[in-house]
Amino acid sequence: MKLFGALLCCSCCFAASTVIQNATVMTVTKGTYTGSIVIENGKIAAAGPNLPVPAGATVVDAKGKWVIPGIIDCHSHIAAESINEGSISVAAMVGIEDVLNPEDIAIYRALAGGVTSANILHGSADSIGGKCELIKLRWGKDAEGLKFQGGPPEIKFALGENPKRRGESGFGTGPQNLRYPATRMGVEDVIREAFTEAKAYQASWKEYEDKKAQGKVAIPPARDLKLEPLVEVMEGKRIVNVHCYRQDEILMILRVAHDFNFKPILQHVLEGYKVADEIAASGATASTFSDWWSYKVEAYDAIPWNAALMARKGIIVSLNSDDAELMRHLNTEAAKAMKYGDLTRDEALAMVTINPAKQLHVDHLVGSIEPGKDADLAIYDGDPLSTLSKVTQVYIDGDLYFDRDKDLAGRPEIEKERKLLITKAADRAKQDAKNAKKDTDKDKDKEKPSR
Amino acid sequence: MLSTKLNLPLLAILCAARAAHAAPPDAYLLHNARVVCVSSPTLERGDVVIRKGMIEAVGVDLKAPADAWVIDATGLTVYPGFIDALSTWALPGAAPPGPTARGTSAAQPAPTAPANAPPPSKGPEDRPLSATFYRAADHISPTDPVIATMRDGGFTTAVVFPTNNIFAGQGAVIDLAGDRPGSMVVAAPAGQYLSMKTNGFSSFPGSLMGTIAYIRQLYLDADHYKLAQSIYASHPQGLQRPAYDENLEGLNASPRALLPAHRAVEIDRMLHLAEQLKLKAVLYGGEEAWRWTGPLKQSGVPVLVSLKWPERPKEADPALEDPLRILEYREKAPGTPAALAKAGVRFAFFSDGLAKPADIRKSLKRALDAGLSKDDAIRALTLSPAEIYGIADRTGSIEPGKIANLTVTSGDWFDDKTKVKFTFVDGQQYDPQPEDTKKPEDAVKTTEATN
Amino acid sequence: MKPILILATAAALSPLAYGADNSTSYFIRGATIHTMAGRDISNGSILIRDGKILGVGENLTAPADAQVIDAHGMQVYPGMIDSFTDTGLTEIEMVRETSDNSELGKFNPQLSAWMAVNPSSEHIPVTRANGITASVPVPNGSLIAGRASMIHLDGWTVDDMDLNPTVALHINMPVIRTRTFHFPEGATERPFEEVHKDYLKELQELNKFFDDAHRYEKAKAANEPGFETDLKFEAMIPVIDGKVPVMITAMREREIRDAIAFADKQKLRMILAGGAEAWKVAAELKARNIPVVLRPTLSLPEEEDDPYDKPFTTPGELYRAGVLFSFGSYDAQFSRNLPYQAAAAVPFGLPHDAAIAGVTINAAKIYGMDKKVGSIEEGKIADLMITDGDPLEEQTHVKQLFINGKQVDLNNRQLRLYEKYKSRP
Repeated sequence: MKLFGALLCCSCCFAASTVIQNATVMTVTKGTYTGSIVIENGKIAAAGPNLPVPAGATVVDAKGKWVIPGIIDCHSHIAAESINEGSISVAAMVGIEDVLNPEDIAIYRALAGGVTSANILHGSADSIGGKCELIKLRWGKDAEGLKFQGGPPEIKFALGENPKRRGESGFGTGPQNLRYPATRMGVEDVIREAFTEAKAYQASWKEYEDKKAQGKVAIPPARDLKLEPLVEVMEGKRIVNVHCYRQDEILMILRVAHDFNFKPILQHVLEGYKVADEIAASGATASTFSDWWSYKVEAYDAIPWNAALMARKGIIVSLNSDDAELMRHLNTEAAKAMKYGDLTRDEALAMVTINPAKQLHVDHLVGSIEPGKDADLAIYDGDPLSTLSKVTQVYIDGDLYFDRDKDLAGRPEIEKERKLLITKAADRAKQDAKNAKKDTDKDKDKEKPSR
Repeated sequence: MLSTKLNLPLLAILCAARAAHAAPPDAYLLHNARVVCVSSPTLERGDVVIRKGMIEAVGVDLKAPADAWVIDATGLTVYPGFIDALSTWALPGAAPPGPTARGTSAAQPAPTAPANAPPPSKGPEDRPLSATFYRAADHISPTDPVIATMRDGGFTTAVVFPTNNIFAGQGAVIDLAGDRPGSMVVAAPAGQYLSMKTNGFSSFPGSLMGTIAYIRQLYLDADHYKLAQSIYASHPQGLQRPAYDENLEGLNASPRALLPAHRAVEIDRMLHLAEQLKLKAVLYGGEEAWRWTGPLKQSGVPVLVSLKWPERPKEADPALEDPLRILEYREKAPGTPAALAKAGVRFAFFSDGLAKPADIRKSLKRALDAGLSKDDAIRALTLSPAEIYGIADRTGSIEPGKIANLTVTSGDWFDDKTKVKFTFVDGQQYDPQPEDTKKPEDAVKTTEATN
Repeated sequence: MKPILILATAAALSPLAYGADNSTSYFIRGATIHTMAGRDISNGSILIRDGKILGVGENLTAPADAQVIDAHGMQVYPGMIDSFTDTGLTEIEMVRETSDNSELGKFNPQLSAWMAVNPSSEHIPVTRANGITASVPVPNGSLIAGRASMIHLDGWTVDDMDLNPTVALHINMPVIRTRTFHFPEGATERPFEEVHKDYLKELQELNKFFDDAHRYEKAKAANEPGFETDLKFEAMIPVIDGKVPVMITAMREREIRDAIAFADKQKLRMILAGGAEAWKVAAELKARNIPVVLRPTLSLPEEEDDPYDKPFTTPGELYRAGVLFSFGSYDAQFSRNLPYQAAAAVPFGLPHDAAIAGVTINAAKIYGMDKKVGSIEEGKIADLMITDGDPLEEQTHVKQLFINGKQVDLNNRQLRLYEKYKSRP
């Protein structure tokens, strides 16, 4: 499958256009129909029941199959070689963009689960964590090729148990390494102090620009990579993802967000249902788990109705994975929102497609099957909201990145290549050992006459 | 005359020095050898005249200068002295550029803090794991036994770097012979050695992305430092005095940056970082550079290729089969030099901790087996490293006027039976140490000609 | 909205108060009954009395004293059994004080999971609300971890809940693991030779413990003066006598083969737990009649180069090889999602019926409890659920649940929180 990733996407770049025919298409935003999707230049050119096939188009017969917009995971930690800076409470200078790993097999596995975009977040060890990176799962491309073009930059904040854990004695690194904060009070303080510092930094630049404008000699402030992202947050240019659980800290961050002028994506937000009205009023959005609970104290009040309840209160809600395995079946995670909270099929599916797109400000590009959007599509052999269906094909930008048949056909090839290389390496090791022995024997021979 | 007067003390020193040793001749004629000039076509039967540490003439049937000691080199081959493009030879205490400097932070156990450990670093401002000001040239140990061992293996020159920090310090090009550190240094500083080390979970940087963020901040700070110093120098009154910073001084003094890049992902990452920071970069490692020749060629960034080809660790669990990705990494690494040569990417070799000249030659032969031409291999041991470090005007090939660093062998270097007959370092002849008595205390230079 | 409907429906069908006892008789009629013992019965009826299933069929008539439940359009399945769980043994994973699943010491056959189950755990009502009526809590310390029990997910006390205090002795097979990861120190590598030595030593200790148990049994039978009772060895006697199977957790092929060899050597009845690479050993498992309690199907492949769907295809492969297997959640918080672990294997080659069997009758068979639970048959304990659809589908609701013949309250902490905050002014 590794080998085929690269081949697949090349093979289909040549076709002028692709038409997927006879499929049941869940557009998410414009209902469900049986018919075609026309893909041109990586975009959806047309979608509807009766479409003519453009001349020279590659035709994919999807009779009996279902097509949905490629799934967007709003909270993932795959495809990166480090996740948590962890050492300091304000780590805004670090960024996932610097450590993307396009060779992480988790990308391919998630792709095979219908995911086409993923929000790769910094971890939750620091009150203000690092910059995040929205990617498309373009397996076979390099780090630049993974990046989602057209969305605003992001950053991660974290509240509650995780960021304060390093302040607890007994954390293992010794008392000299205890880190502020140790309480939720301290977490708020860290964030407010950081924004206050960022404001001063912003002001120092203004002061410099003013002096320069007046023709005065001045030394420009040194660029501060920790504070620059926070300035961007205040300027509305950078999205904040906030890891949060308890209702008190949710309200806390909403106050901070109000004071410093941002509208966060609340991540996890397991007690969001308790303060749904406040979240809705603030303009913040929510990205949560379907049914996780009890893995820590702040997750004990989690309920599987959280997503539906928040959605009913008018919050844009997405369901995320935070996990390389769960990521492979977000479609059925969405189905849980039908069980717990009676969402419609479209409302449920929206939580893993158009809603995360809206949260990440990329809904003009992805998240639904509409003409003009990126041709990011997942094809299932049955109802995508059923546990009994599986993904057969996945397209990103109109290119075929996952094809189950090709995956199956390619497996013997991989196994053969692997065995071959293992044999080669073993033979070389054997030869080396033989040579080494020869050398020792030679040395022994040399020793004989002199002794 | 004035000049004579001034030179008197110098003469005294020279006389004193000569008094300590038998005075070697400073003019030689190597006669009738195969001369591999590298910068010009090989002379099948050539002569080389050496005087005062420099190559005076290269040609066919040269007339022996009257004072020259004539060495009949019939049947011998003369190469430019080999250069190890990155090592810690003659720098006792500097960790070799081995696993500790390798990129993946996840695999590294966090250092355990000793009782008197410095307080945790809180950010870039604490200049963690940085000693940009550390100059290898000031720490050369002429008695390091590795000098004689490697000289016996044909190496006359090494580019040595401290390696045990993120910013480890400034390297120096040294010749592998000499009584005093000062006389060994050919050029310094050769550049700044960077690694992707982390500081564990309780001290910044705690992750690979933290390390990269720190590197970025330090280079920005260094630029600002220069600017601030110059503005202040011209307008000291009414401006706040910029603080002195030894690490920024050290960084600004370093003419190039050596960046670790083993896997393709790392090569890609470092090329982007170098481009972003406008660094004059040199990559070291290069095991997967064969996959990245296009971007390397385009960037013009040279590669120091490790001669320690990756292998399955001997202590690995035999039941665990490596994935194809790793198997390919190991299998194809020796193909890197050939691929780089074909693509026109400048590259040199470095010993990467290999302790025996025989092992170095064995590694080189694997590169030949993988398609590298002998000429390209010799170039990567001589002129290429000189070019990479900007000293091709004084060393790296056999040309009149260049430093007389020569390796004289019994035949083609890549033939197993070939031995180093003697070397010239700075115009002085060195015989290999007798094989049976190769002990550290014997690592002193021999000065008598053997012809 | 729906949860109210569920409750409303349940209340309408069953006017009696929940949870009193099982003295009420029930007559469920009109449902499609998936007995998991022969064919499905459409428009069938089930009579429940004194905790037992008294009759199942198409032509039953309701006794006068029975509470009639009209289940037209509904499906009836046996209650599901989670073959490997933490439910009841841990409340909040990260709070040590709430966890009772891992004891100190290498050899703990005397421990029994059942007695440490907290009947008041919030996990129990949450889990059963999705149709899980019984589960197997398993002690999970090192080497001989303790005895797995089978419990009902309902009861005033652990005694009420107990179905069988000892269904297997759980052993964690010694593992050769050269690379370990500790937070926050990171990964550490140890040379194979060194780890292998430790492993052999542990295997030797394990064998010695079993040999000692045999010697103890002999000495006990001899009843010579001076014989001293040892609780650990007492607990081993039913195991070495073959009355209690050993359940050996092993994931990778080598560990599984080692576990089989160990069980052969000690002449033990073996259940394999985990079995991530059981597909590589399917023929041997079949030949020795070793059943498997599979780790969650929704797992990542073991190796980078393994097919992406390896964990999904594994149950189907075992099925085709004729190996008896069931599914476990290996967890507390996700125990309720047990049916979806079975479901995940269906699109990848496991027949639908076999998936259901893996969470019902086959679990009962593996633990020797199939005479009591796991299917809807006359004489069995009345553990069953009434659903509005296929329990393998996420969208399906459990409408009513019977444990031990008693209609069980589907309300739980989460539903209460939902109701509370949904109506927050």
